[in-house]
Amino acid sequence: MARYFLRKLVVYALTFVVAVTIDWAIPHLMPGNPVNTLMGRIQIQDPKVAHQVYEHYMRAFNLNLPLWKQYWYFWVSLFHGDLGTSILQFPTPVMSIITHAIPYTLALLVPAIALSWYAGNKFGALAARRKTLDNTLLPLGYTLTATPYMWLGILLVWVLAVIWHVFPVGYAYDPTAVRGFTWPFVSNLAYHWFLPFLSLFLVAFGGWAIGMRNMIIYELESDYAHYLGALGAPHRLIRKYAFRNAMLPQITGLALALGAILGGALVTEIVFSYPGLGYQIYRAITNEDYFVIQGIFLFIIIGVLLANFIVDIVYLIVDPRTRIGMEGGRS
Amino acid sequence: MKRIWRGAALGLALAALAATVLSTAASGGGKAAFAGYPRSQTLITSGTQWGNIAGTNPYTGNYATGMVGLVNETLLRFDPLKGKYIDWLAKSARWSGKKQYTIVVRPNVKWSNGKPFAGKDVAFNINLGRFTTAFWNNLYVNVKHLAVKGDKVVVTFKGTPNYIQWQNLMWNLPMINPTQASTIKSAQQLTTYSPKVPMGTGPYTVSAAGFDPTTRVVYVKNNKWWAAAAHVSPSPKPKYIIDLVNTSNTNSLNAVLAGVEDLNNNYLPGVNQLVDQHKVSTYYPTKPYMLSANTAWLEPNTTRAPLSDPVFRRALAMAMNVGQIVSQDYTHLVRPASPTGLLPTWNKYVDKAAVKKYGFKYNASAAAKLLKAHGYKLSGNYFENKNGSPINLDLSVPQGWSDWETARNMIVNSAAKAGIKITVKVKDYNTWASDRNTGNFDLVIDNNYQLSDNPWTYWNGIYHLPIIKGGTGQTFANFERYNNPTAWKLVQKLDHTSPANTKQIRSLNDKLQTILMQKLPMIPLWYNGVWAQFTSKYWTNWPSAKSSRRYVPAMWRGYLQMTGIDVITHLKQK
Repeated sequence: MARYFLRKLVVYALTFVVAVTIDWAIPHLMPGNPVNTLMGRIQIQDPKVAHQVYEHYMRAFNLNLPLWKQYWYFWVSLFHGDLGTSILQFPTPVMSIITHAIPYTLALLVPAIALSWYAGNKFGALAARRKTLDNTLLPLGYTLTATPYMWLGILLVWVLAVIWHVFPVGYAYDPTAVRGFTWPFVSNLAYHWFLPFLSLFLVAFGGWAIGMRNMIIYELESDYAHYLGALGAPHRLIRKYAFRNAMLPQITGLALALGAILGGALVTEIVFSYPGLGYQIYRAITNEDYFVIQGIFLFIIIGVLLANFIVDIVYLIVDPRTRIGMEGGRS
Repeated sequence: MKRIWRGAALGLALAALAATVLSTAASGGGKAAFAGYPRSQTLITSGTQWGNIAGTNPYTGNYATGMVGLVNETLLRFDPLKGKYIDWLAKSARWSGKKQYTIVVRPNVKWSNGKPFAGKDVAFNINLGRFTTAFWNNLYVNVKHLAVKGDKVVVTFKGTPNYIQWQNLMWNLPMINPTQASTIKSAQQLTTYSPKVPMGTGPYTVSAAGFDPTTRVVYVKNNKWWAAAAHVSPSPKPKYIIDLVNTSNTNSLNAVLAGVEDLNNNYLPGVNQLVDQHKVSTYYPTKPYMLSANTAWLEPNTTRAPLSDPVFRRALAMAMNVGQIVSQDYTHLVRPASPTGLLPTWNKYVDKAAVKKYGFKYNASAAAKLLKAHGYKLSGNYFENKNGSPINLDLSVPQGWSDWETARNMIVNSAAKAGIKITVKVKDYNTWASDRNTGNFDLVIDNNYQLSDNPWTYWNGIYHLPIIKGGTGQTFANFERYNNPTAWKLVQKLDHTSPANTKQIRSLNDKLQTILMQKLPMIPLWYNGVWAQFTSKYWTNWPSAKSSRRYVPAMWRGYLQMTGIDVITHLKQK
């Protein structure tokens, strides 16, 4: 068991180094210069002053150094827990931007992933054995899973917010709300959270439901299910085994789908003006805010790796063959 | 097992939600004093702030919308529609000699902490120009002496003052509180200064509890505002002003339609239809709907053939069907530019005789004739260079700027009618800006210089020298890389001409626009608007061309100290 975890940890550490290096390299290889964008905002009329200020910012961000030195300082700062200062939002520290944004993203992502996975599996399993549900859920599931997150988001805003006025058009809370531990504010947060959550939930739900429905049908047609049936085992018991076996690829799928769902959350936030990491990274990329791009992707990398690690552990718990295999037995 | 999954899923979902509630509520200061800012007493604006709010430093370009004007005021203001300065924190601010400028501070002006605003405070702010990161450092280095006597501040200059730039500074330099800003001891500290609750003299103060850098800045009315007490201005009716962070034009349109925002300063395509349906109002009730904010022009790279040839540039200008762009692309939300490109508010500077003599109009066949007459030969449908090589100019605009993308396509088509081949080059904003700055382009659509008190800012943008080769290239002016030392000397002379010498000012402006129309280093296309649409659900009495309230309805940086603040002080609660 210890060897298994050690091997996993080494793989994760290597993935981390490579991913973080790419994370550092991509913004630096983008055309243009972020300080120019900042200068564009300051609009200094005199070229001498413009040059002075430009040089000042270049030094402040270490952008005047050769690339290898910038890369070295990046790792040094990282190990000191310093993600740098935003260029666009100078002098705001990147960590402060992330800590402001991360709760919003988690509030969308975690419930959307957890509930869509649970409900999708549940409904998929039900659909596999009920013709009416299958006839309705299957096309709906395919439609939902093929729908781009952003498009569904825009549709929901347009219909439910702009035309019917049932939900707000965007933002994390009403512009006139006063923040605090009060029921009006908490309910306001939930009210603004619902539509972005729903668009993420629906798309992911469709995918899980179809996956589970197909897996259950596959499992029910397998030899062990037929053998159990021949032995006279009740259908309920056969379905239970089929469900358990069908869950394994769904767990693997969850680990693989995390990146895609995260990408979906990023665009959903933009559609709903929801101030999470997605919105921040969109602004950072369009303005070449190197440090914010690096910082947010670092968090995403850590999040995805961590989630994969958890899935690995869960897999050990739910699949006895993995445990037995590691203990030297044969399944 | 099922129960475990269900429990885990629900538990995770609830935990994430709870974490958000806790963190968002906590950043508001914990216990809220009241449920919400009363909508009927709150003015909600948007359209300026893109991305998180960086802070409250009014000297940097990314300060919270409204800081200059609502909190930190200026010595003068400028009314661009009347072309007049408005004495504001200064009772007067004038040239008192050839090399001397005198500011007299208005009595009874107070900081938000109740302390009086005095001459020494003005001196403190001007003296911050000693730091190289101050945008007025180039003017400060020419200051010989700064004397303060009570409410009077006398500035003496070393050589001939930059009259125009200094006057421009007087309505653009926000006054920050010396006690609060005493920490600024270096160029670096000037850029990082950003107090949570900045002290100012203005009609509003920042609410630290309402401030959320990802979403909004909240201002609370200062009931002891000097201008209302002295009857210099009406007291503003909104108790709160909330400026929302922008995310996209689509979201803004949704917010306007849903009645979330009272004043929006985004460009909203087709907003004229909403005006016609009485869903929103604009400054003009019919076309052009908006006041003009800046000139959009076709920027040729004058260092590359055939764009280095003024005759070719003239033919190109004549091939521009601007009328089509105005009517079809912008549905008359903009106006076509005059051949000088000078904004309508600078009409008094336009030399009509020169426009008649050197101006240009859309005429594709005349453009082709002009090229033929000057030795350009047709090869198939398109002209070729004089050396026989084909002409194929690239034209780019920032990707996603849909109105400019449509205009770009129209330009390509109308130029083709005159035999000029232009090919679209797609670039994202950063690549577009970087290529423009370093001269890696043939043609771009651009707009750089906003409405101001003097066309000098416009000329400076066009003719500024030297041209920086290599490195970052041109960072703020002369992106067309037009090398005309005579024109540049005229621009400098204009800046060094005393405002009393009106004859010389007139003559210099005439010469500069004549050069522009003769050589066309820039091809003026249309005037971008002061995009502003307002709703009357909560607030009425908005400015309009048909009323006495002829104010510029924009929260944009630099506009509140024009007459943007008058828009707010004249609003009436519905």
